[in-house]
Parts: sequence; C-alpha cells; structure tokens
Amino acid sequence: MTETLYDLRNVRRVYRSGAGDVAALDGIDVRIDSGELLAVEGPSGSGKSTLLQLLGALDRPTSGSLMFDGRELRDLSERELTNVRCRDVGFVFQAFNLIPTLTAAENVEVAMVPLGGDRRTRRAKSVDLLVQVGLGSRAGHLPSRLSGGEQQRVAIARALANEPRVILADEPTGNLDSTTADEVVEVLQSLSVEHGVTVVVVTHAEEVARRAGRRIRLRDGRVTGADGS
Amino acid sequence: MFHLTFVGHELRRRLGRTVLTALGLALGIGLVIGIIGVSQGLDDAQTKVLAPLTSVGTDILVTRVAGETAAAGATATPATTPTAAAGSQPGPDGRGPGGGFFGGRGGGNGVNQADAAALLAENRNVVTDLAKLGKPGDHFTRDFFLSATLVSFPADAVSQIKTIPGVTSAVGGLVQLAEHQTGTVPQIVASIQTGGQTFTQTVRPDPMTDAERAAFQQCLATKGVTIGGPPTTTAPTNPATPGAPVAPGDGDAQRGGGGGGFRRNPAFEECLPQRFREFRAQFTTPLQTIQQVVDPPSTDITSQSYTAAGLDPTHPEVGLVTAEQLTGGRWLSNDAKDEVLLNVAYANTKSLVVGGTIPINGTGYKVVGLVRPTLTGSTADVYFPLATLQTLAGKSGRVTQVLVKARGASEVDAVAASIKKALPGAEVVTTKALADQITGSLADAQSLVSRLGGALAVIVLAGAFAIAALLTLSSVAKRVREIGTLRAIGWSKGRVVRQVMGETLGIGLIGGVLGLGVGAAVSVAVHTMSPTLTATNPVIPGLTSSSLSGFFGQARAAATTVHVQLSAPLHFNTLLVGIGFALLGGLLAGLVGGWRAARLAPAVALRDLG
Repeated sequence: MTETLYDLRNVRRVYRSGAGDVAALDGIDVRIDSGELLAVEGPSGSGKSTLLQLLGALDRPTSGSLMFDGRELRDLSERELTNVRCRDVGFVFQAFNLIPTLTAAENVEVAMVPLGGDRRTRRAKSVDLLVQVGLGSRAGHLPSRLSGGEQQRVAIARALANEPRVILADEPTGNLDSTTADEVVEVLQSLSVEHGVTVVVVTHAEEVARRAGRRIRLRDGRVTGADGS
Repeated sequence: MFHLTFVGHELRRRLGRTVLTALGLALGIGLVIGIIGVSQGLDDAQTKVLAPLTSVGTDILVTRVAGETAAAGATATPATTPTAAAGSQPGPDGRGPGGGFFGGRGGGNGVNQADAAALLAENRNVVTDLAKLGKPGDHFTRDFFLSATLVSFPADAVSQIKTIPGVTSAVGGLVQLAEHQTGTVPQIVASIQTGGQTFTQTVRPDPMTDAERAAFQQCLATKGVTIGGPPTTTAPTNPATPGAPVAPGDGDAQRGGGGGGFRRNPAFEECLPQRFREFRAQFTTPLQTIQQVVDPPSTDITSQSYTAAGLDPTHPEVGLVTAEQLTGGRWLSNDAKDEVLLNVAYANTKSLVVGGTIPINGTGYKVVGLVRPTLTGSTADVYFPLATLQTLAGKSGRVTQVLVKARGASEVDAVAASIKKALPGAEVVTTKALADQITGSLADAQSLVSRLGGALAVIVLAGAFAIAALLTLSSVAKRVREIGTLRAIGWSKGRVVRQVMGETLGIGLIGGVLGLGVGAAVSVAVHTMSPTLTATNPVIPGLTSSSLSGFFGQARAAATTVHVQLSAPLHFNTLLVGIGFALLGGLLAGLVGGWRAARLAPAVALRDLG
C-alpha cells in the first residue's frame, strides 16, 4: 500500500509586483505518493519551479493546503522548514550548484553538517555515496575538475546524504549531453525503484519524462494534464 | 570543525578576494598603528621633556622666586598680600630680611621689598675682599654660594607641606650657584720718586749804620786788626750805597786782587753786627700733586662657577636627583657630611672620578657617585648632603625648594592648591601645568595628533571597514547561488551567517597581520626620517640647567628648549589594538555580509539560478 507523501489542495502562490499580483500557481491539486517518480512538465513560466520550491519547503503557498508527510508546511516555522529541507528533502539542480571551493566529498558532507555528528563518519559516508554514484575515485576533486555529469552525480550524492524522503530535481539533465543525461536519469530512477525514494523531476526533456512513473503538465499555474498511475 | 575547513578553503581558493579585502584592512590597520605609534612617540617625547619633574620622582615643586617671571606666569602664585611680617625681620643668622618665610609678591612692581632684601642678603657674600684671603703672595682657594633668583626659606615649610592632605612625601632641596676661586693674594707696590728741586734766595741787608760801623771798627781795633791803607784801608763799600760797608760775602768781589780778605779773619766775623753774622728766612715750596700709574697687581686668580645642590641622603627616591640616576659609585651615606655626587658631564669636564676629592673651603669632599640627570633635569653639577651645603652656603635650616609627591595623579591639583594657600608667595609647579606650558613643534604636533589623530584614525578605520564590508557584500552577492544552495540543503540562516563571518574574521586576521607589517613599515619610516621636534619648557624655578649649559642668572631666566627626535614605537599593546581593530573590521564586514546573506530567501536564491 502506497503512502501519500505530498497532498496539495487548491494551492496558490501569488507574487506581488508593481504591475499587480501574479499567480505563479493558481489552485493546484496534486498528490504524490512515497517512492513515486513524478515528472512535472510545462513551458517556461508555467509554475514548475514555484511548485518545486513549495514541495521543497523553500517557500510557503499563499493559500491552499500543502501537506507533507501529514504536516501542513504553511504552518511550519522557518526553523521547522529548514529542518524539513535538511532531513526530508534532497535537491538536484540544473546547474548542479556545487560549492566551488569544496571537494566532491566535502560537497556531499556539507549537507550533513546541520545534523552534526562525527566528522570522520560524515567523511566516510560521503565517500560511500560518491562510490554509489560511481565517483569513488573523484572524491578529492574540486567541481572545476569534474565533468558536468560527474558534478550532477556529486549533486545527487549530496541530495542523498541525509537519506531524504524525496528528491526534487530541477531540470537535472538540462546542462548535460544525452549520454550523461541518461546516466543521471538512471540514477534517479534507481533511487525511486530500488530505494523507494520519492523523486519529483521538473523537466522539459521528453526522454526524462517518459521514464517517470507519472507525468503532470502545468500551464499558467494550473495542472493541465496528467499521465500515468 | 567543518566550518574551519570551509573557511580555510574559501580564503585559500578565493585568494584574490581574500588578499584584496585583507589588504584594505591592512592599510587601514597599518595607518592606525602608525598614528598610535606617532602619538605614543609624541607622548614619549613629552615625557622626556617633562623629565625635570618626573625624573626626580615628584609631582609638585615648591619654590620661592623673587620677582615676576613672565614665563612662569601660568603657575605663578597670584599676587597675594605679602606675609612680610616674617620676611622683613632680620634673619636668625643676621643676614638681613632673608630670614623670613614666603614673602609673597609685590603688588605690581615685580619684586616685593621682602624678596628684594632677602635676595640682596643671600647674594651678599659675592664681594671678594682680597685683604681677608691672606698676606700678599699667599695661595688661596675659596668657594662662595649664591642663591641667585631663588630665595631660600626655612625648612619648616617641608614639615608644613607634609601635613597637607594628599601629600605622601615632601623633601627639601637647596640649589646654589657656586663660584670657586683659586689664586694668589696679590702684592701691590707703587714707587713714587720725589726731591731734587733747587731753591735760590737773594738777601740784601741794609748798609751798616754809622754807629754799627764805629762799633765795628772799634771792635776790630780791639782785636788788633787795623783797617786802612789803600785799597783795603777803607771799609768795603756797598755798590748800591756808595760809602756803606759791603755786606759779608761781598768782600771778595770788592777786594779785587787785594790781600787775603778780612772776612776770613775770625776777629772780623766776631765784630760784625749781629744781623750780618746770621741770616734766617722761611719760605714754602709750592703745592704739587704727584701722579704715577700703578700697574695692576700681578695675580693668578681663576674663577669657575658650578651649580651645587643639597640632597636629603635619606630619600634616594625623590630629590633633585634620585638613586635611579646613578651611573657609577653609590648614593650618599645617610650620615655623610663630606661626600658628594657629581653630574657625569661635570665630572668628565673636570676629569673627576669616583673616589676623587674636591676641596671646598678647606675641606676635602669625597666623590662617592656619579649621576646622570635627564635631558632637561640636570639640576646641578655637585650634589652635597643637604646639611653640608646649608653649612657651606651659610643657610642652615633653609632650603630653596620642596619636592612633593602626591598620593595620586588626581590629587596633584588639589595638593598644589593647598600648598599655595598654606604658603602664600610660593611658586608651585605641577607636572600637568608644565605640560600645558610646553610650546614648540612638539606641542604643535601633539595638539595636531590629539585633535586630528583620533579623527584621522577613525576615518581611516571607517574607510578600511567600509572597504571590507563592501567587498564582503560583493562577495555575498556573487555567491547568491551558493548561499541559496546551502539554505536549500538545510543550512539555517545562523549557520550561513556564521560561515560568512568566519570567512571575514579570517580575512580580518590576515589583514591584521599584514597591518602590523604596514604599521612596522610606518614606524621604521618615522625612525628613518626621524623628524626633530622642539619643545620649549617654561622656566622651572629651581630646576634649571647645570653650569655646563648656562651661565648664572641667564640659565634661570631663559626657558629651556629641548630637541627631541620623533619616533613611532610599536608597543605590544598597540599591536594587540591593531589585531583587535582588524578582527573588528572582519566582524563588521561579516555582520554586514551575513545580514545580506540571511536576507536571501532560499527560494529567491534558487530562482536566481534561472
């Protein structure tokens, strides 16, 4: 039996600007189950990134309900949201967003720092994660010495560092060639399938979306379509 | 721990930003260290200039000075009603009105009568009476002591000052200008030659009367002398009175080639009337003045002046010199009477050494130690035990100054005021008052530094801090992606701020160390250029130059100008302050940068990623 991880009901996110209020999300109802690999598609400005921010506890909805693991994110304090991001959410960005001055291992470790613990244990776990994404030998390299695919795999390892409930990937293959993109998508897919980690991928790429268990399409802040179970 | 690693990586791998920010701070810190150093150097210079008081372990100097001295006006006691009752009395030693206490000042004519009289009395023995030094040809040495413009006063003032609240110690001192004479008592011989004058007198007695002639002839006849026969038979005739007998003495001329002359005949002499036999006349030679140039007496008297000071041997810690200023030998024994200390410079000039003896008025004084008074505190050449100098100078129980130590710096002014009140007419000089009176480029520089130095330091620091803050802000702005990512993966605002501040503190530390280098360079530059500053001290009664740098009264009347080389010393505390400022700069920059970073909503930061 699947467990509902996210339950969004009539979620709106309105930004105030000089020209008036702009609804980035305009009444979205989405449910995401644990272990699901969900692809979110849509043209630029459709609200994909805003949805990802709300799912990642980076932002709060203007109205509506956003339940995460039974908790209403809108009611959580800043500190609690930070805690959710730290423990339950892993981010993978289009531009990888690695810290350029830290090595691959340190970039993984940096996600574990807020949880404290022994440094040596963290280091060992970081290397383990890099080994899992096929970068065991590159642990001591700076991001600038890694290829795009390698950087993205380091980012995935970082996203997995605190064993999150969900991985949120924002155009994870956007900066990668097709071969490397395939590798990355495979990793994400295996996370979902083999490890039961919920994966939400925002993407333009049909190849990526196709490998998702479910796809939803956004337009103008609304869900305009959904495929899959 | 991870933060330290992260900070280390950030500083090392963003070297350009690190160095630029650190250099900005370093420049500011270095300049501030330089300013502090120069200020410290000026303080040191002023301390050196103030040495006359501070070097003798005292806070307040009390003297009695005759007459107004303009330069001392600021600390001079205001004109007070002279306590002339005591001052006008003859002194106990019969030296006139100098026996009084503080005489006070006259209303407007400078020296009051008591002071003037006291001064005259104290300088009276300047008269050199050669007659009293021995017989002509005797060798003599003689030292006499003068008070010059300093009027002595009873040493009771010392005990009186000791009773004033806030006074921890008061020591009397006596300063005298001494004159050492040595030579031979001259012999003065004047040769005056008189006599050798010729006086001529012509006497014409009246011719013999008939009676005298008759008696004469009769007498001759009685004696058996006949007068007659040509040409000698007739009585000599006076040419002036033909027919009259010639006067005695004229006979030879009248007799021509005649006989042997009857005047030689005793009978003839006997028979002459009395008035021809004896002639007596009085005459007075004319008055005349004999003038003769007498050469100056030949003598070898040499005169040398020196300054003598009397010390209380039982107080080596405070006095006109202190034991700290000993450079050789030892301090005066407590009961010493014939021991002296010498100013090193004076000893060198006179080739005197410890263990040597200097003779003064018949007594040999043993040199037991050499002292090096500070630059402007060279108060005397020869330092005697106070009692000895009092005896030598004929000023028993009298002193010319009192050196007073107050309980604390804050009490100096109050104590000085109490002393002025207790001893009207006293000159009371305090270190602080002295500092206020210093003029010259040192004072100008100090005034400049005190007025502008602080402001300059603040501006420089503010500039450095602003640069550091701006660079940090710029760095944060460039790292929006990173900071947003850190926030997205669970770093709290506080953790992000701590990270940013850790980095800026690290930069501050580097900037501080570099700043010390800049400060050291400033210090070395100042040392190398070594600008000379002048400081003109006010006249300090009783604390003036030794005989080596001045003459008698002139040394007392003239203010002392001291040349001081400016330095910018680096004190440990200054370095700490420099590092402290650098860290403060880093902290401020971190706060600004951290505040900026904390304001970044993680969603906004991610949105920026495009």
